Amino acid sequence: MSVENNLKEKAGEIMEDLELLVGYSSTNLPLKVDPVFIKDKGGIDSLVFTKTCINNLSTYAYSLAKSTEGKIGMVLKPCDTRSIIQLLSEELFERDKIKMIVVGCSGIIAYKKVQKYLKGLRIISGKIEGDSLEVGTIEGKHSLKSKEFYADKCYWCKIYNNPPLFDEFIENEKELDAVPREKYEDLDQFESMGLDKIYSYWEEQFGQCIRCYACRNICPLEICRERCITHLEVPHWQSQRINSDEGRFFQLIRVMHLAGRCTGCGECERACPKNIPISKLMKKSGQIIERLFDYRTGEDPKKRPPLLTFKDVEENIKEEKIV
Amino acid sequence: MNMTNKTDKTEKIQESPGKRNGEVNIVAFLCNWCSYAGADAAGTARLRQPENIRIIRVPCSGRVNPLFIIKAFNLGADGVLVSGCHPNDCHYGEGNLYARRRFEFLKKFLPFMGIDSNRFSYQWISASEGQKWQNVVINFVKRIENREGK
Repeated sequence: MSVENNLKEKAGEIMEDLELLVGYSSTNLPLKVDPVFIKDKGGIDSLVFTKTCINNLSTYAYSLAKSTEGKIGMVLKPCDTRSIIQLLSEELFERDKIKMIVVGCSGIIAYKKVQKYLKGLRIISGKIEGDSLEVGTIEGKHSLKSKEFYADKCYWCKIYNNPPLFDEFIENEKELDAVPREKYEDLDQFESMGLDKIYSYWEEQFGQCIRCYACRNICPLEICRERCITHLEVPHWQSQRINSDEGRFFQLIRVMHLAGRCTGCGECERACPKNIPISKLMKKSGQIIERLFDYRTGEDPKKRPPLLTFKDVEENIKEEKIV
Repeated sequence: MNMTNKTDKTEKIQESPGKRNGEVNIVAFLCNWCSYAGADAAGTARLRQPENIRIIRVPCSGRVNPLFIIKAFNLGADGVLVSGCHPNDCHYGEGNLYARRRFEFLKKFLPFMGIDSNRFSYQWISASEGQKWQNVVINFVKRIENREGK
């Protein structure tokens, strides 16, 4: 628990300069944490940092930066700092507006994966100790290995104790114990299914989409919220019909909007009430951007995102000739 | 009508049955300064073209939001063609250079959604290239008519 104590100590030290501190607090629900907004020193005791802190708190960065006058403190995991870096590279707010308190990470448990393993049974208790994960349901207790239930991004994470940008860094004494995986390994297999099968796969997936726009609302980089095309009446881009065509349309627009910006935090998929594999789309988009423009998101706040700039001669673009 | 330049290519297209009601629908976004004038030149020179193309004039290829392309597909277009000035020849200096990056990304991404990337194309056609416009239209329509799958 020393990480948590260090975090509280650090937060106490800098709280005076801050208008607001965003962090994690415990909740009654097992294996979950709540975001907490702390305004004075008294609230710091409610801060926690566990292996279930999956929320990417940088989701609040843009709206808080615009609506507050003072500085904002934010408890972030190393992977969450990517979102802030990306927002900074688009010059959406000043660097010193957000004080980044980065806490080293040793893998984050994905609630949805545990639930999928339990075949949708309600989780009524959860306990993490070292490598083991004890989960209770109405049918009894399950002893699981925590490293098999990490969020996808943990398996190719290289910055868990080495954040690219921070103001305060609290090292985690534990190492990430996930078995490393290649980031894009599942994409090739998916693409080899052929166009028809891919089309019907997405037709089925987007057929479930109820367009609650949770994926958009939770995304740290989709800052358009009130100006989104889904709110426009003239022109009426998105109809109210619920079918796979409209779901596909919305997701394609999302992908285009996030091309060269998405940092792969996976929050969209986590927020989806219908478990549509949205992060697969975002992963593919990241792969294309990497290949075309040799650009990786969330690494350098001084680098311009690829779709906001251009080169006279594009080395990797081969224009087709229809003659 | 006196149609000059009647080639074997165009005759074949008119004979081919097509896929939907005997005809495919193609939406073309042409930039005002180059490609629209190029298509106009092709018309003035009476270069014969297939009639499947509906042209929408835009100020610049950089004006073409990928949203337009996706919406066109969603509303049932079989193909979408975007055309603008040649790179470094843009009326506004750099519009088509931004556009090129967006379109290339979209073109690479469409197959991942199960949509054939051959249904979308972007071309650079200048105001004097009526002949090129004719070739592009003929071949693009042919490509759309012969496509398989979605």
